[in-house]
Amino acid sequence: MTNMERPRIGVFVCHCGLNIAGVIDIKELIEYAKTLPDVVYAKDNRYTCADPGQDEIRKGIEEHRLNRVVVAACSPRMHEPTFRKTCADADLNPYFFEMANIREFSSWCHPSTPKEATEKAKDILKMAIAKARLLQPLKEIEVPVTNKALVIGGGIAGINSALDLAEMGFKVYLLEKTESIGGHMAQLDKTFPTLDCSICIEGPKMVDVGRHPNIEIISYADLSNVSGYVGNFKVKIKKKPRYVIHENCTGCGECKDVCPIEYPNKWDINMGVRKAISVPFEQAVPLVYTIDMDHCIECFKCMDACGARQAINFDQEPEEIEIDVGAIIVATGFDIYLPYDDPLYGYGKYDNVITAMEFERLILAAGPTGGKVIRASNGQKPHTVAFIQCVGSRNLKKYEYCSGFCCMYALKNAILLKEKYKDEVQVYILYMDMRTHFKGYEEFYRRARDLDVTFIRGRASHILEDPETKDLIIRAEDMTLGQPIELPAEMVVLCTAAVPNADAGDLARILSISRGTDGFFMESHPKLKPLDTPVDGIFLAGACQAPKDIPYSVSQGSGAAARAATILSKKKWKIEPIVAVIDPEKCRNTRVKCGICAERCPYGAIKAPEKQPAKVTTANCHGCGTCVAECPADAITQNHFTDDQILAQISSALEQDPEDKAIGFLCNWCCYAGADLAGTSRFEYPPLLRPIRVMCSGRVDRDFVLDAFRKGAGMVLIGACHMPYDCHYISGNWKMKARMEALAPMLQKLGLSSQRFRVEYVSAAEGLKFAELMKEMATQLEELGAERIKAENAKLKPVLDRMLAKKQKQQRQ
Amino acid sequence: MTSDENKNSRFLLFLGCAIPYRVSSYEISTRKVLGKLGIELVEMAEYNCCGLPIDPINHEMMLTLASRNLCLAEKQGLNIVALCPGCAGTLRKVNKKLKEDKELKERINSHLREIGLEFKGTIEAKHLLQLLAEDIGYEKVKDAVKNPLTNLKISEHSGCHVTRPFKYVDFENPENPETLKNLIEATGAQYIEYTDKIACCGAPIAGVNDKIPLQLTREKLVNIKRAGAHALVTVCPFCHMMFDTNQPRIERLFNESLKIPVLHYPQLLGLAMGLSPDELALKGLRVNPAQIISHVVERKEDR
Repeated sequence: MTNMERPRIGVFVCHCGLNIAGVIDIKELIEYAKTLPDVVYAKDNRYTCADPGQDEIRKGIEEHRLNRVVVAACSPRMHEPTFRKTCADADLNPYFFEMANIREFSSWCHPSTPKEATEKAKDILKMAIAKARLLQPLKEIEVPVTNKALVIGGGIAGINSALDLAEMGFKVYLLEKTESIGGHMAQLDKTFPTLDCSICIEGPKMVDVGRHPNIEIISYADLSNVSGYVGNFKVKIKKKPRYVIHENCTGCGECKDVCPIEYPNKWDINMGVRKAISVPFEQAVPLVYTIDMDHCIECFKCMDACGARQAINFDQEPEEIEIDVGAIIVATGFDIYLPYDDPLYGYGKYDNVITAMEFERLILAAGPTGGKVIRASNGQKPHTVAFIQCVGSRNLKKYEYCSGFCCMYALKNAILLKEKYKDEVQVYILYMDMRTHFKGYEEFYRRARDLDVTFIRGRASHILEDPETKDLIIRAEDMTLGQPIELPAEMVVLCTAAVPNADAGDLARILSISRGTDGFFMESHPKLKPLDTPVDGIFLAGACQAPKDIPYSVSQGSGAAARAATILSKKKWKIEPIVAVIDPEKCRNTRVKCGICAERCPYGAIKAPEKQPAKVTTANCHGCGTCVAECPADAITQNHFTDDQILAQISSALEQDPEDKAIGFLCNWCCYAGADLAGTSRFEYPPLLRPIRVMCSGRVDRDFVLDAFRKGAGMVLIGACHMPYDCHYISGNWKMKARMEALAPMLQKLGLSSQRFRVEYVSAAEGLKFAELMKEMATQLEELGAERIKAENAKLKPVLDRMLAKKQKQQRQ
Repeated sequence: MTSDENKNSRFLLFLGCAIPYRVSSYEISTRKVLGKLGIELVEMAEYNCCGLPIDPINHEMMLTLASRNLCLAEKQGLNIVALCPGCAGTLRKVNKKLKEDKELKERINSHLREIGLEFKGTIEAKHLLQLLAEDIGYEKVKDAVKNPLTNLKISEHSGCHVTRPFKYVDFENPENPETLKNLIEATGAQYIEYTDKIACCGAPIAGVNDKIPLQLTREKLVNIKRAGAHALVTVCPFCHMMFDTNQPRIERLFNESLKIPVLHYPQLLGLAMGLSPDELALKGLRVNPAQIISHVVERKEDR
């Protein structure tokens, strides 16, 4: 509070028509406000948020030289931004504004007890004023923006991101780990439901990427390090040696013609071969040859063939390059599950059991068999082909999720077989459910049925092989007939799960982004931020987030480009200042190995180098406050949610009859919103709660709980987002849970009844649950009785005093 | 000798019900072979039913019966080896359950206290196969082979209880068991894979239905014959009765000749270790193993 003038607080109480004034005695509230310290002006309005109401605030600031504004009205989740702007218009720092939510938390939920509702409103207002007295001015933080982007992964999603950003005028680096862009789509034969040739539609896009003046393809290279923050990422990339000089290679292929060595081509799932100097496929972009040193015998025939072009250089070394970008799009796609580990299918054991990707390469005209579908056992065309769905997918023992596109590609392959071989081939699809939503897909399913593809509903339990003919027998349950069946087939195609890319773990670590339990990258919010990661400036596109088909990946590629452009198109990027700040004097990392904050930060925004004070990368901080609560030295402050502000709220709430009240620390995104919903839904419940809003339950310091009980609180509630994934800050609720699970038994040991301290998980949609919770708590409070609570508190107080002495000492300083 | 070493070389032999009076060849050959491999089998004089047959009727009784056997072993400080996979599986399952579930342990102990016993959870129970693979080890088994069964083609049927339910037995992948295969290869014999290897032998249905189990057994025997095996190896008395004792009946019923000798694994290993057919009670088999014996004897004479 140094260098600051004494607070002059203006209080504006809103009637909200009759929404508030119909229950709460506004006049009494105004008179009460005037008695509180530092309040110099109090006024009521019919609608504070309407223009006349806002004018009153501006006028008040001017006429009464107000330097703090408190509005007692609705939820801050509704109108806090409105009133902050009003203050800013009147040249008052917007962070000198505080809101008292007396509508959702009082008038709407206690309509039949107006007296108690008014008392609760008084407390809520008093708490807001107590906080307002300690508010600090804050300034939005601005960082410069490098208007270039990095797209990781050159599949169809990454290609679309790169092209869209390039068309908007931004420079794009497209990083691809293999020799050519194109991704899985370039391996496919036809696409559903139109049966377009896959490479024929993707090829031109790949060429566009290669030619675009704003796009630089960095292929055959890996991401090695990323540092920095939104608008200012520094990226290190390691390029693998091709032993061919990119600039000199014309892609003529004369070297390949003379090369004597062939090795299995991964691109053809090892069913075809390529030369030791070659491109993986004809349409590769960039069209630059690569020598595989594991197979090259160094006969140097290629060098002779290349001649004066001098494109071949056997001395090439790996090269590390560094680039600066403002935004990153991750579009690294997926891998295909190979069921070697599941003996039921016999994959890898029986010749004629293959995966769907192998089938794609077989039926593709440019594939290793020239488009002939043949059996590995005898090179003959199969007369019966069975597709087995959900191999690995929708299986609790393997991958719980649905891989999404397998039903459609199985239909496509079935149709291709039927159209190619007509009645010479019988095609079966064994499925659990055919999932054919989206445009044109159901019609495609019908087309397969019209072509006499046989659909059997049931999961294959076991595949057997006839040792002589190498034909297969599929054991399954036909659920429609309700009996077990044995189905002979000359070829079995396993439609296996799409799984996270093998290097997704490394990438998550390098980028500090998180992965779900399924291993795919996690989006920031499953509904409203599907393309964002928790790290500002890093976005997701395509199947790296979950299995997706081509049109979905293309849309996401464009979507992520648009999201990235919201940053790249600005010269400066603004960051809300509700961030954590570390006092280097207090940080004990200089003395001992601590780093707890760095470890607990869900965003990797804190670095704690040995022997140095920990430091917050402000641009990466999301303002959850978890580190603040975790710091053993109380060296971290969260702006706008400081310890003394919250402690002041606790103290003012518990000034009178504390044992009748419950202090509730509610996280802004779930429990506070759930309580708001209980209000807007007009669920009536007893008025025992005194709410304190925090951005995340991770912010709730154990000292807050201790202080509340020391000051005599009847109950303490921590309201958080549901486990495991609902937390707005990834894992703040988990950190809170661990902290409070350690605290609860200790309090009970000291004599606190277990009902008096609760951690509850309430979502923004659970207004009813919140109201029920309040009823339950009120009943318990009554059962315990004020006398018992007072007795428990008296016993607790000396212990808590001692525990909090350290904190008090610091506060005095 | 420390108590741990003791536990690795001395085992309480749990015989169960079926083996002593219906498949004694399994017991005789096991005693011979394990003795040669340096395992001392200690008699378990007062053992009772493992509990498995009564499980569908009275689960609590099964738990109590099994745990009484475990308590007897705890008193002696020795691990149990069972030859019957049903016994081994039941004892393992109950041992694991009682070790993990405090409440259940307390409840069962309240029954056991009436007969002056208490379950503590200090020993292990295992099947012969596990003892061979883990306590003796493939290397030691290989070293004991004096007369490798080269050119002999052998298939196996591990049976169900050796691996299932995986959650409790916790031994090897039920869909892809490999221990018996590895043990066959350790004798020098050629292991023969056959169609539908992990399918049921039919025994569990035998008390309820006559025809289905024999059909199942027959299908397996036909697949084994087609695969070209000289003999089949089992490690379960019930599997053995289906494949061996019932084979002539199957031949009559389906009017075909199968003539596939079915050996207990210790018999196969014993032959490779140089034990005589009599010592291994090969006479106790229903399907004449003469072909196998002559094969072994010929090879011996060749040397």
